[in-house]
Amino acid sequence: MNPDHLQQGAGASAPALAADAVTVRYGDVTALSAVRARFEAGRIHAVLGQNGAGKTTFARVAAGLVQPAEGSISVFGRHLAGGDVVAARRAGVELVHQSFALPPSFTVAEVLQFVGPKPGLFTRRGIERHWQGWLDGLGLGLDAGARIRDLPIEMQQSAEIARAMVSDARLLILDEPTAVLSPEGTERLFARVRELKRQGVTVMLVLHKIREVLAIADTVTVLRGGELVAGPLEAQDLTSEALAELIIGDGAARLDAGDRAALVGAAAEQHESHSLPDAPPALVLKRVSTAPEAGGKGLSEVDLTIRAGEIVGIAGVEGNGQRELVAAIAGLDPLTSGEIFLADRRMDKASLAARRDAGLRVIPFERNVEGLSLSSPLWENWSAAQLVGGSLLAQVSPRALRSAAEQAFQDWDVRFNDVAQRAGSLSGGNAQKVILSREMDSGARLILAAQPTRGLDIGATMAVWKALRQARSNHAGILLVSSDLDELFDICDRIVVMVSGQAVATFTTPWDIQAVGRAMTAAHKNRAEEATR
Amino acid sequence: MTSRLYPVLQTGAFILLALVLCSLIFAAVGLSATETLGAIVDGAFFRPNALAHVLRWGLPLLITAVGVVISFRAGYFNIGAQGQFYLGAICAAFAAEWMRGSPALVAVPVCMLAGMAGGALWALWPALLRVKAGADEVITTMMGNFIAAQLLVHVTSGPLKDPSGSGQQASSRPVEAAWRISESSGSSPVIIAIAALVVLLGWWLVNRTSFGILSGLAGRNPVMVTWQGAKVQRIAISAFVLSGALAGLAGSVELMGPNGRLASGFLPDHGFTAILIALVAGMSVIAAAFIALFFGALTSAGLWLPVMTGLPSSAIDIIHASIALFITAKAGVFRGLLARFGR
Repeated sequence: MNPDHLQQGAGASAPALAADAVTVRYGDVTALSAVRARFEAGRIHAVLGQNGAGKTTFARVAAGLVQPAEGSISVFGRHLAGGDVVAARRAGVELVHQSFALPPSFTVAEVLQFVGPKPGLFTRRGIERHWQGWLDGLGLGLDAGARIRDLPIEMQQSAEIARAMVSDARLLILDEPTAVLSPEGTERLFARVRELKRQGVTVMLVLHKIREVLAIADTVTVLRGGELVAGPLEAQDLTSEALAELIIGDGAARLDAGDRAALVGAAAEQHESHSLPDAPPALVLKRVSTAPEAGGKGLSEVDLTIRAGEIVGIAGVEGNGQRELVAAIAGLDPLTSGEIFLADRRMDKASLAARRDAGLRVIPFERNVEGLSLSSPLWENWSAAQLVGGSLLAQVSPRALRSAAEQAFQDWDVRFNDVAQRAGSLSGGNAQKVILSREMDSGARLILAAQPTRGLDIGATMAVWKALRQARSNHAGILLVSSDLDELFDICDRIVVMVSGQAVATFTTPWDIQAVGRAMTAAHKNRAEEATR
Repeated sequence: MTSRLYPVLQTGAFILLALVLCSLIFAAVGLSATETLGAIVDGAFFRPNALAHVLRWGLPLLITAVGVVISFRAGYFNIGAQGQFYLGAICAAFAAEWMRGSPALVAVPVCMLAGMAGGALWALWPALLRVKAGADEVITTMMGNFIAAQLLVHVTSGPLKDPSGSGQQASSRPVEAAWRISESSGSSPVIIAIAALVVLLGWWLVNRTSFGILSGLAGRNPVMVTWQGAKVQRIAISAFVLSGALAGLAGSVELMGPNGRLASGFLPDHGFTAILIALVAGMSVIAAAFIALFFGALTSAGLWLPVMTGLPSSAIDIIHASIALFITAKAGVFRGLLARFGR
């Protein structure tokens, strides 16, 4: 037994988390391979890497949600076999997931009461008073009486953090906490995290943007392809360039500087706009409004023009009308008022099939629901676009469709064995390429790309960007919805910010990055002020 | 193992497993398993005129089952084959009544079309309730079965009642002898031709048309098909109506062929057996054809058993039930076995 191991039992000097050769496999895929790292107590640790690097898996191992195939972890000197949430909790580990799971009809106080240590009789006012004091101590800025469903997403996240802190977490793990936040929301989150650190909590943040890591972390650990590349390294010794190389690996030098910065969330680069002010419009929206969906807002008098040969980005905190915008342009949500033109044809009453005929293509938000039928063969998924315009009784040749699909997949470098294999058997990146191969044909005049790179690794992300730029040089107009501002700054020619179903601001190059971030939250503040008045 | 052969072997294995289970049940109630199964095989395939009996029972089932395959593939669990089958027979019987005196060459096709229209209408209202109001088609089509059964009682004891009829069961006046497309206990070239046409058109529709591919996709993920711009409602209604029309066609075939008249307890298991056939066939029209003939053989044997061997015909019900059991467990059982023993 090595002396290092003996020391771990000593308590105070024990690391908050030590991973010993942790290996995790999901079927044939090795998600983590022999990761060995020590995280000191009382500091803010960032775990950084691209999609598929194994960050989330690592966080889930630490929280006892995933049983490692090999290796073990210890928390504050306590040895855990892994795969036991209760043991991890008892040792003081809490994980806040990417997606939140608090009961929407509960108040914050009720949530805390029910996860808290003392069940029993209570009055609503009593628990609100009790928990409000506790929340104020944490500095989370939460109102104990607010219902979860009424909270903006940033505050829901705070409620999740509060929920985690009720059980006296000593190691708080936040999995991609900034993915759902505006730039300003991220800053406020970081302020709260620093406050937690001041109170002695060790925080581990799973992140994928260098800028955020350098802003908050004391140490940085980089994962790539399930392996530990480096870390924990002292953040103050690191530069953005060095981290970018660690994250991307050998290919880093081959990437364009702007793309590299956008991929790793380093400082955004400026570039020239490709927009041609006298190019014909590919899409015109005139004061478009839609009925509010259950639990959401509709569009409200959106004006938007996209010209042939430009990429227009839609920025905004998720849930501010981006979905409604895409659905309205696709003809899946009826308009309550306003007009939609594709090129110069008015099409707000036309079916999606007719709009497709006019050159509309859609890369939908949910790849696995709206984009593909996972249990159907690949070639059927690809063929759907060819068939929808025609008669249902049109005779088709499966053989011809199969070979056309096969050709398209080869052109798009999809990794597949057989066109008859189920779409669900492909990785996320390959699945997205199947969608690209279907939607980005030569007839595309207006492409709606909704979160097209979400969850994709570097190779697949680059393929999507290349495809969008290619379509732009073929004079298609492109609407790119993304919650990743770096992506928008890198490839868009114009950015429109959406708040509460309205297009509130338009930005052109050179980007005023702070101003875009402010625009995303400005209207929120107005609403909050109205509410308090 | 080729991917084409695999489902065939899988289905064969299920039927074998079901027969093993049946043997256990037979043994438990004191019947000799080998003797009973032997008698069933004998009754199905080796009695005089066995093939004609198999076709007599198998072909109408085949027609209905192809329809069920079409609606199941599109993702709609049209459980109403029985009701649509009844409505087809009822409408064909009314048409036969009104057409009395016309030549067979006109009357038979008209009755068939009336039967298809009746079945289609009985599938249309659940389809509309589903796509316009979101009503669960399992519930509505099942309710439709009950209503159709009552309608059949009403028709046979009311408007179409045979005044000379005697016995416990009310029945309708027989259709004109010249219009019968088969004898009472057999099949005929006309019925074989109709069934062959249904299989051919069904296969073409499912495998060689836009409707086939889009309905297959919609059956698994309607949201995706919507985002591709397909009219999912139109696909749904077409699938419902087609399956209803085929069940209705089977009803008119039964009326104009072996039965010759409606009776209030007319083939009460037809639709459910057809659903079972579609499930065993795994959504393939060609497989449904073969399996329908297999079930036709079972039915034919079931009628033979009590008469010729004194064995209970409920033995056939047990076989049906066991097959249903294994088909329901299908995915889970096989995945479990594969995972355990490797491929």
